[in-house]
Formats: sequence, structure tokens, C-alpha cells
Amino acid sequence: MKTKVLFLMVFVCLLAAGCSQETKMIDTMHDEGKAVMALDYRDFDMAASKMVQSMLASGSLKKPDGGRYVVATGRIINDTTQRIDTDQLMVKIETEILNSGQAVMTSAVGSGTDKLLHETRELRDSEEFDPNTVAKRQTLIAPELTISGKIFQRNIRYDRNTQQIEYYFQLMLSDVKSGLRFWQDETLIGKRGSNRSVSWQ
Amino acid sequence: MKKLEFVLIALTVFAFGCHKQNDSRIHVREGVASDTLGSNIVTRPVTHAFSALIGEGIEVAKAVTRRNDAGFLELYVNGYNKSYDTKRFRYRVEWLDADGIVIETKTSVWLPMSAMGKSPFTIKSVAPRPQAVDFRMDTRKWE
Repeated sequence: MKTKVLFLMVFVCLLAAGCSQETKMIDTMHDEGKAVMALDYRDFDMAASKMVQSMLASGSLKKPDGGRYVVATGRIINDTTQRIDTDQLMVKIETEILNSGQAVMTSAVGSGTDKLLHETRELRDSEEFDPNTVAKRQTLIAPELTISGKIFQRNIRYDRNTQQIEYYFQLMLSDVKSGLRFWQDETLIGKRGSNRSVSWQ
Repeated sequence: MKKLEFVLIALTVFAFGCHKQNDSRIHVREGVASDTLGSNIVTRPVTHAFSALIGEGIEVAKAVTRRNDAGFLELYVNGYNKSYDTKRFRYRVEWLDADGIVIETKTSVWLPMSAMGKSPFTIKSVAPRPQAVDFRMDTRKWE
């Protein structure tokens, strides 16, 4: 009797192990996975790549008198039904702006603010810190350009069983002093799929 | 009866012989332009089937690079889709520095491209670093 129960338990365990979905790493370099209705990393990669190329080709980051622009990231509005951290798009774009050698990003203001920059300045009156090692007043550099934008989606009923979702990525680069817009672009990613698929997460 | 067949064939050949070539810069598509062997309602199934049989696809005619005013290398790839069907594919451009080493960038990702049947197409890509002096490009099927 005991042997039978033991055999049954081992058999059930083996069966359960065989049915479990194996976890696999995604080959992010050559991902051949199916497209999904929601925005995934491939969509952000594509949008960022197109935006960066468009921005650099426009020449708007090239300072007329040489040197490098100071750029701050403004507000990127997520107007989709998904919970998106807009940094997923902006970090790629900021990285490429930095690496292009034509501009530097600021962490002093904007959505990419580093709170420590301001907290360390509050140490001026502290007796615990060597005043020579604390940042002096008026040492922060103000941004000359800002990047802001929006990601929004439109859901369209394509036919009885199919829905169409359009994702729009819009970015603009503006001059702080004059308020003039130096560059802007839009990338559209469209998906068509079953009505039963959900694009919100 | 044979005479009638001969006349029909002669007329068809004659009609295609009169077909005027458009300005190469203007592409007049099937259904808009005058019939050709590939678009004629009678001969179309045969030519389309033959095209699919021999596996006609994308052909790259020329790749041009130039440095833009901002100092970045721009790539223009001109090609032609020899197939009668729209070809959807993905491409990825990698940029090389003066030593032939790949420059790692966030822009070197697989991007979608679509070329309509029997139509020219152009792919444009911009190097995100001024150090880029050359490129290499890869393509794959759009899954």
C-alpha cells in the first residue's frame, strides 16, 4: 500500500514539473517574440531610436558658437491606459544626447532632478562639514534647452473582432530664453489585434 | 481560327510595344498606369506566380553616406522591391569608428520597413556619434 502511494506521489510530482512553463531569458538583441497589444520594450527602443535620429539630423543640438547646450528634461505626459514610467523612453534619449557630445543634461532641475544636489547645498550652515567642500552659491548652471512631450493612445474598433490601438510618441525641444521650439517629432506605433486583448496594465 | 489567334497575339504584343515609359522619378502604380504584362488581367496571374516561384524580393541598388551639417554621418540606402507583393522586413544599422569597431548606441535596434511591390524604397539612418565613419546593415524578416 505504502509503495503504491509513494509511486503515485512521485508520478504526480513529475507530471506537475513537466507541465510548468519554463522561464526563458529574452534575446533582446534579436527578439523574435510575437507582438503584443500593450507597449513593450521593443516599442520604446524603436520610438527612442527614431526620435534621437530625427533630433540629431535636425542639427538643433549644435550650438552656433560652439560649446555644448545644457538640456533639462521637462514633463513627459503619459496619456495611455498603461502604467508607463516615461523614463523608459527618456533615459535612452538622454543617453544618446549625452553621448553625441553636443549637449549635456542637467540634474539640477526638471524631471531628472537629483534631490541630493539641493540637499548637499543645505549643509552650508552645518558645522560638521568642511565649508570648502560644500558647493558654493550660484554654481549651478541653468538649462538652455528643455525636452518635453507626451505619449498617448487611441483605441479604435476595427471590426467586430478586431481592435486597433495607435500609440503616439511626441517630443519637442524648446529654447528656454526665447521659448522658441527648435525641434519636434512624432512617432506612431500601430497595433491591430483581437478585441479580447487588453492594452492596459 | 488560327488567323484570329495570330491577330490577337499580334495586337497584344503591339499594345505592350506602344507602352510609354514614365519619368523614372514618378512611380505610377498598377491600376493607375496603363496595363503591362504584370498588371494585365489576363497575364497577371502568370507573371505573379512566376515572380513568387523564382522568389523575387528586395534588391539594394546603392548605399550613400554623407556627413550632415551637425557633423553626424547619414546613410541612405536605395533599393527596389522586385516582388509583386509588399515586402515587410526589419533592418538594423550599426556604426563603426575609424578603427572599424562597432559604436554601441541605443539607436542600433531592429526597425520596421515596408516596400510596396515593384516599387523603389529608401532607408535613412543617422549615426548618433560624430566618431562614426562607416556602417554595416543587417535585415531580417518581419515576424
